Formats: sequence, C-alpha cells, structure tokens
Amino acid sequence: MIKLLGMVFIGLCVIQPMSFAQDSPKPEEIIAKSRLAFYYAADDMKVKILMELVDKDGRKRIRELTMLRKDDQNGGQPSFAEASKGRQKYFIYFHQPADVKDMTFMVYKYPDKDADRWLFIPAIDLVKRIAANDKFSSFVGSDFTYEDVSGRNPDEDAHTFLRKDQLDGRDCFVVESTPKQVSEYAKRISWIDITNFLPLKEEFYDKQNELYRQFEAGEIQVIDGIPTITKRVVKNLKSGHWTEVSFAEIKYNLGIEDDIFSERYLRRPPVQWIK
Amino acid sequence: MDKINGRALFIILVAGTAFFAVPCAWAASGEPRPKGRAAMPELHGFAEFAHGLKLSDDNTKRDDFNLLEQRLQLKTKYLFEGNGLLARKNSSLNFKGDFTVDEYFSGKTDFELREFNLSTTPYDWFDLKAGRQILTWGTGDYLFVNDLFPKDYVSFFIGRDDEYLKKPSDALKVSFYPSLANVDFVVSKFEPNTMPEGDRVSFFDSFQGGIAGRNSDRDLLEPPLQPSHLEYALRTYRNLRSHELAFYYFRGLDKNPAGYNDEVARRLFYPRLDVYGTSLRGPAFGGIGNIEFGYYNSREDPDGDNRLIANSIFKVLTGYEKDLGNDFKIGLQYLYEQTVDYDNYSANLLPADFVFDESRHLLTQRITKLYKNQTIAVSLFNFYSPSSKDGYVRPTISYNISDQWKAALGANLPWGEDDLTEFGQMKRNKNVYVRFKYSF
Repeated sequence: MIKLLGMVFIGLCVIQPMSFAQDSPKPEEIIAKSRLAFYYAADDMKVKILMELVDKDGRKRIRELTMLRKDDQNGGQPSFAEASKGRQKYFIYFHQPADVKDMTFMVYKYPDKDADRWLFIPAIDLVKRIAANDKFSSFVGSDFTYEDVSGRNPDEDAHTFLRKDQLDGRDCFVVESTPKQVSEYAKRISWIDITNFLPLKEEFYDKQNELYRQFEAGEIQVIDGIPTITKRVVKNLKSGHWTEVSFAEIKYNLGIEDDIFSERYLRRPPVQWIK
Repeated sequence: MDKINGRALFIILVAGTAFFAVPCAWAASGEPRPKGRAAMPELHGFAEFAHGLKLSDDNTKRDDFNLLEQRLQLKTKYLFEGNGLLARKNSSLNFKGDFTVDEYFSGKTDFELREFNLSTTPYDWFDLKAGRQILTWGTGDYLFVNDLFPKDYVSFFIGRDDEYLKKPSDALKVSFYPSLANVDFVVSKFEPNTMPEGDRVSFFDSFQGGIAGRNSDRDLLEPPLQPSHLEYALRTYRNLRSHELAFYYFRGLDKNPAGYNDEVARRLFYPRLDVYGTSLRGPAFGGIGNIEFGYYNSREDPDGDNRLIANSIFKVLTGYEKDLGNDFKIGLQYLYEQTVDYDNYSANLLPADFVFDESRHLLTQRITKLYKNQTIAVSLFNFYSPSSKDGYVRPTISYNISDQWKAALGANLPWGEDDLTEFGQMKRNKNVYVRFKYSF
C-alpha cells in the first residue's frame, strides 16, 4: 500500500510538470520562443519589404526596401532563451521613395547594449553614425519602431501568462509583459500562436492603461518550411496613422557573407543581394 | 517676366519628359528581360525651385535676393550585365547631372556634371571608382578636419540643399580590404573650394580693406593641370568593437586661396599643403561621440615666417550626438584651431597688414525635432565662436508634403563683431529662403 502510494506520488511529480508544460508553459519561455520564431528564423534571410504609411485622412506614403539579416553564429547550440536575444546584423537598401533611393542602413544588434547603426547618404558620400539609444523612435516615419524591426530583448520585461485564447480560429497563448524599466509602453499583451509561436497580435497600453498602439499579423505563409508573417499592420490608435508591411521574395539560409555588413558595402550596395 | 516664364516652361518640359521616361523605365525593369539584353537604366532625380530673399545690404550684384533658380537633377545607373568582363566584376556606370537656370545671373543656364564614374570590383579585396565623384570622409558635422575634398561654401551660405556643399572631384579612388584595416586611396585633379567672390556673396577682401562685393577684383591663380599638381588622399580605418578608428593623410594644395602670389596684381594662389590626421568615433555616454585631429603642414611656409602664405595649423574637433527620444536629437561640437609658429607670423607682418588670431574656438549645436510621422523636420544649426566673436545661425523647417513633394523654409544668419573673421565677413549675406522640390 505504502509502495503503491509512493508510486502515485512519484507519478504525480512526473506528470505535474509535464502537463504544466503542455497547458501553460512559462511565459518567459513563450516570449523567448516567439522572438526566435519572429526575429531569428533560419540563420539568415533576405526580403523585399513594402511599407505603406497611411495617415488618418487616407494619404499614403511608400517605403520600399530590401533587408538582409544574418544571425551571429556563436557555434554550439545556445538555449532558446539565449538565442532569442542573440547578436544579429541587418543591412537595408532603400528603393523608394525617390528622395531616399540608394540610401543604405546597417545595424549591429547586441543582447546587452545599444545597437550600432550606420546610415549612408549617397548624394554626399557620407557614412553617418546614428545614435541608437531610443528604441522607440519611428522607423522611417512608419508606425513601426526600431524595436519592432529588430526585436526587444525578452529580459527587459516581466512576463505573466494570462490565458489561452482563440484568434481567427487559431489557438493562442496570451501573455502580458511589463517593462522592468521605464519604457514607452506600460503594458504589452501578446497573442502568440501555440503551434508556431508567431505573434498574431500585440496591444500596447500607456500609463493610463489606454490602448494606444496595436500590431496584427495579417498573413502567414510557410516559406522554406518556416512559418513567416508576410503581412502585418501597426496602428497608432491616438493619431489614426497606420502602417502596413508586406514581405515579398523571402529567402532563408542563403549563406550571406559576413563582410556584406560593413562600410564597404554600405557605400557600394551589394548588387547580387539587393536586386 | 516673359523670359522667366519661357525658361520655366523649358524646365517643366524637360522635367515632364523625364516623368514620362520614368514609368517606362519602371515598366521595363519589372518585365523579365530576354537574356543577354541589358536592363534599361532607371531615370531618377528631382526638379526644384529655390528663392532666397536678402535681409541685409551689401555691394553685390543684387540687393533684394541672392538665390533664385530652377534646377533639374537627373541621375541614372547602368549595371553591366551578361558575361563581359565588366559584368563579371560587378561594374556600374553612374551618372548624375544638374541643369540649372540661375535668375541671379539673369537666367543663365548651366549644366553641372556631379557624378560620372565607373565603379568596379576587379578582385574580391579591391574596389575601384574612376571618374567624377563626390568624396567624403571624417567625423564632423559641417566641420571638416581631414576631409580635404572640395566644397562649395557659396551654395552653403545662400541656402541650397546640403548636397551642394560637396563639390565633385575628378578622381580615381581605389579601396583595399586586407584583414587588418580598410584602405582608401584617392588621386584627384585639384579643384578649389567655391568661395565668395563678391558678385553674389560678399566677403572680407584684404585688398579692399574690408567687406567687399563687386568692388573685389582679386585674381585667383589656379594651378595648371600637370602631374605635380595632382592630389593624394589616403584613409585607413577599422572597427574596434563598436568604435571606428581612422588615420588620414593628404598631400596636395590648400583648397582656399591662402597665399598671396603678387600683392600688387592682387593675385592669390593655392599653396601646397600636407595634412596628417586621425579620428575615433563610436558610442559614448549614451550617444555617439567623435574626436578628430589634423595637422596642416603649410609646405611653402614651413617656419611660418612668410607673411604672404598661411601658416601650419593644428586642429582638433570633438563632437557628441544624442537621441533624446520622440524624434528629438541634439548634437554638439567643439573645434579648436591653433596656428603654428605664430610668433614668426606676427614678427614678419608689415604695419598695414591685417592681423589674424593665433587660435580659434568654435562651438556648434544642432537640434532636430521631427513631427507628424517624420514628415516635418524642424532644425536649428548654430555656429558660435567666442574667440572670434562671430557665429552663424541656420534654422530650417522642411515638410514632406508627399513622397514626391517637399517644401523647405530656412534662413542663413551669419553675424560677427569684426569684418575679417570666418562668419563676421559673411554678415551682410543674411537671407531667408524657400525651396520646393519634386522628386521622381
């Protein structure tokens, strides 16, 4: 009898964490996996991005750019918590509008310090270093912040699991994140797809607990076996301005050379990658 | 008035042709091309109207304005394709040219070729750019220590776009990328800075004993084109973690007429100059910091005892830029210039000579704030020298009405107690300007 009770007890101990893992995993884990799926898919990536910036009167502006991304290969297999804030390099070439055509922009992202950013202005052959301490600055006038483009370190927020939910028929984890230090938002609520961990929706609340900004994934495609958000919208609910971003010509694991992310190619955009 | 309308019509016609050409080029580039046929190059550029009203009187050609012009810039790039040698070496031909109608000079039409060069990569570790090109390096914002490439300060002071502060060079630029550091080496034909000459922009002319306009009759002696007048500029740079370290060397001529060739004939020339320098730029105190040194060796006046040629000079520039959030940025700079062998200079002056200071402190500040999803930019750039007691205020507001249309309103407000300091001599050129630009 005692033996049987003992087995049941051991069984409970084993089962309990397993079922916990299945039903409601740790919120830190959900967010880390979500960052990995959203910002770190494959080792590198090339994409042509079309941004439509629309003001409350419906006036539209266009930003068309090619983005290259490469993750730093540290060797070995870091834990996903480590990988979800790992070093990355970004290279951006602007196709449109005409007044920024041929400009290039480069970012080195680090887990534990401000990113390094460079902008090249071809008309004056100038490589400019951009101060990058404000992560909430708008990216090229859109409703996306720099942080939206390259990802926020999951450690900068405290995460709480709220519930499971359904969004357009998809099962989601709903996680609340509150910044550990003063930030643009006071609270973020994320709907994260249970199967592929992509963020389907994010709501940003200000100090008055008012919803002021909202992210929504519009379309998901599987590309080279990787679920990828190919359309997304960010709305600024206070100004009525919104931005839709479409990804096209997505390619993963191209073997982009590390030296592409350098002043040399900032000044001479690499034709083979940006065409 | 009819004349102006006629010229405006001409500009609009050329611009219109360009607009029609662009969609054609886009359409062509969007279609899959038959193999072996090169892509039709895209045509881009802008049409611009600019008008600057003068706020102060001087003795230049016109009292009421110092900027009134229409400009059409066209640029295109031809990428070599196929199996030819140039195609295999990632080569392109780059063109950028400006057609202008300048009402300041009674509607003078002009064409300025700003870029026309061949860019190629003969080897993985070696890039080459040959032809007319814009060249820039160094860490300053409107201040240049090791960038000895030609500048157009007339454009700067009358309110043209910043793009026109840089003048093109006819040059060969080669770049090497060994693992230790990157190397740029430029050989170029001498091209002087465009400095005020009195017809459009008044300045301090020592021959006239003060600020001069059309009465200035200086003769600037440009060196004849010959191998001994070629200029050489070298930069070697590398990243040290997040910081960039660079060393510079320049051997050529002063870009300003800093020497008297013949005082009686009022003839100035461009003395030989070497510059050695270094710079460091990178994250500092939550922003971007930079420091740059340069030693200007006046080769035709090595001991500084020739009163007719500028002395050697030492320059140090430090800067700091910070993003304060909400699209608000601030930048600060401090430049110190120290004349070398000043005692020799002052000991050799003649009684009637103007005396220039031994050193100069210059502070600058740039404040930029963007509004309305970055469509409105409000900016204030301020030069202030406590030692020269002069300065230069440059406020601007620009509005991106759409992706194509942009309007800019700004002012150029140089001031100074004395007439012979850098900004004090410009004080009668104050203006307010507007620019309208259509980009395509």
